[in-house]
Amino acid sequence: MQLHLEGSEDLNLPRERVFRLLTDSSFIAKSLPDAQDAKVIDESNIEAKLKIRMTFLTTHMAVKLKIANVVPPGHARLYVEGSGSGSNMKITSDFDLEGDAATKMKWAADAEITGVMAGIGSSIIKGFAEKKVKEVFAGIKNAMVLAGPDAGHM
Amino acid sequence: MEKLFERSIRDASKLMKLTEDDHNLFRRVDQACDELLIPEFEKYIERKFNDQVPVILRKYDLMGIPISKKYGGGGAGTLVHSLTLERFGQLGLGVVTFVDVHQALGCMTLQEWGTEEQKQRYLTKAATGEVVLAYALTEPEAGSDPVSLKTQFRKDGDDYYVTGSKYLISNGSVADRLIVFAYPEGQAKGMTAFLVDSKEKGFYVDMKLEEKMGLFTSDTAMLSFDNLRVRGEDRIGEEGRGLAVAYSALLNGRIGIASGCLGVMEDCLNQVKERVSSRTQHGKAIGKHQLIQRHVARIASNLESARWLTYQAALKKEEYDGNKTDLGLRSEADRISAVAKYVSSRAAFESADSAVQCFGGFGYSILSPVAKHLIDTRVARIYEGTDEVMELKIASTVLGKDFEAYR
Repeated sequence: MQLHLEGSEDLNLPRERVFRLLTDSSFIAKSLPDAQDAKVIDESNIEAKLKIRMTFLTTHMAVKLKIANVVPPGHARLYVEGSGSGSNMKITSDFDLEGDAATKMKWAADAEITGVMAGIGSSIIKGFAEKKVKEVFAGIKNAMVLAGPDAGHM
Repeated sequence: MEKLFERSIRDASKLMKLTEDDHNLFRRVDQACDELLIPEFEKYIERKFNDQVPVILRKYDLMGIPISKKYGGGGAGTLVHSLTLERFGQLGLGVVTFVDVHQALGCMTLQEWGTEEQKQRYLTKAATGEVVLAYALTEPEAGSDPVSLKTQFRKDGDDYYVTGSKYLISNGSVADRLIVFAYPEGQAKGMTAFLVDSKEKGFYVDMKLEEKMGLFTSDTAMLSFDNLRVRGEDRIGEEGRGLAVAYSALLNGRIGIASGCLGVMEDCLNQVKERVSSRTQHGKAIGKHQLIQRHVARIASNLESARWLTYQAALKKEEYDGNKTDLGLRSEADRISAVAKYVSSRAAFESADSAVQCFGGFGYSILSPVAKHLIDTRVARIYEGTDEVMELKIASTVLGKDFEAYR
């Protein structure tokens, strides 16, 4: 099952800071929603165990995240690959940042899902994914605000 | 890919001219359906009435689609209304049942039989969704044979007092007003229709029927009335004309169910297309196995044949609405709507069964989108006229009145 999601978020933070946090594996590891355990492997790689709750299904997934294609000051790509509870997913997300003192983050994600979750059908899964993405960005926004101005420096 | 609902609109536009108002309506219905998708699925899993349906319909001004603009409705004719029910059908028959009962059995009946005062008082509120309607004909001992119903009324001054039970009433526990049918006390003829207030003393919801095979997101209730007062001005039609009111409502309701079943088949086809294109077994997509293709062909053919039939029924009803004195036209609308309901509901059930087969073991899980359709559509072959009643009705139009089996 193939899914495509896209959207944009307005962040009241300077683009340079948003970019720094978004490409910081420690920050991403801390901001992951539904993470039961998140381990930073190096500056680009994270391994995590997620417990994804939907109304009808709770999925335990072991996922690997890779930050790639980092092009300062405004582009990065995040690969997510995971499996668990009879489902497998591969997600490629691209982020593009615009602005200066405030930032518009445009994002687009392509996902390939197989197994149990795929059986539910893309229309339902897409609806839930959209809800989940809102939660993710709310979490990231919150974490960015809470992170100190020096956060993201390696 | 062209969405199936858009294709339906394009096909329907070959049969009649659709206005900009109609296209605006379809866009609002489409938006409402997108918004209802997840709540409907969640409520289905919880096996609860989807209380978001009236909320979202009100938000998009969709509660009064077939009500005349004079009373604040959308003014849609039968074919346009049918198309909207088709789109709701993609979400499942739970949503269709709420809409069909409120609009086709409730609003359209009131519009056809109500007095000007009743229309001003109730239809205007039904159009905004302030008032939700239900239709209470079936009783524990009167299903396919409504003539045998037991509910009775007595007249006292200008008012009526109704006593009895009604069973398997869709929207029964959520409706503000219900069209109720009863005989005069001690008589088995002279059936009369009333618009009952669910807040009136003597109105009881005895049971919410939640232990159903499917249709979990639709409200179904058993009701009882104990000397329930109905104001004289809330009688619908003349005393003794209740059966004519009941049957005219069912004519509208049947087109609604046939239309909803088209949406079910569209969703089955969409879901199956996705499933058989992506699911791999024996080294290739299962859609490349010819026996799976047979299921795809069956669903597509069922949809195509039921669609044109349903549109023809809607158009015939519309023709009759424009010429109410032509009883031949009414008989023809009645006949073809029975054929459409019979064919479309059976086609939807068969299509849902084929879709479950294409999904394999996962199709048997209630998490699969198609299992919902299978268990929901079974009732479409029962309510608003069983398969058998439809068969008798259709056969008698071929053989003649002397062969009417239930006379």
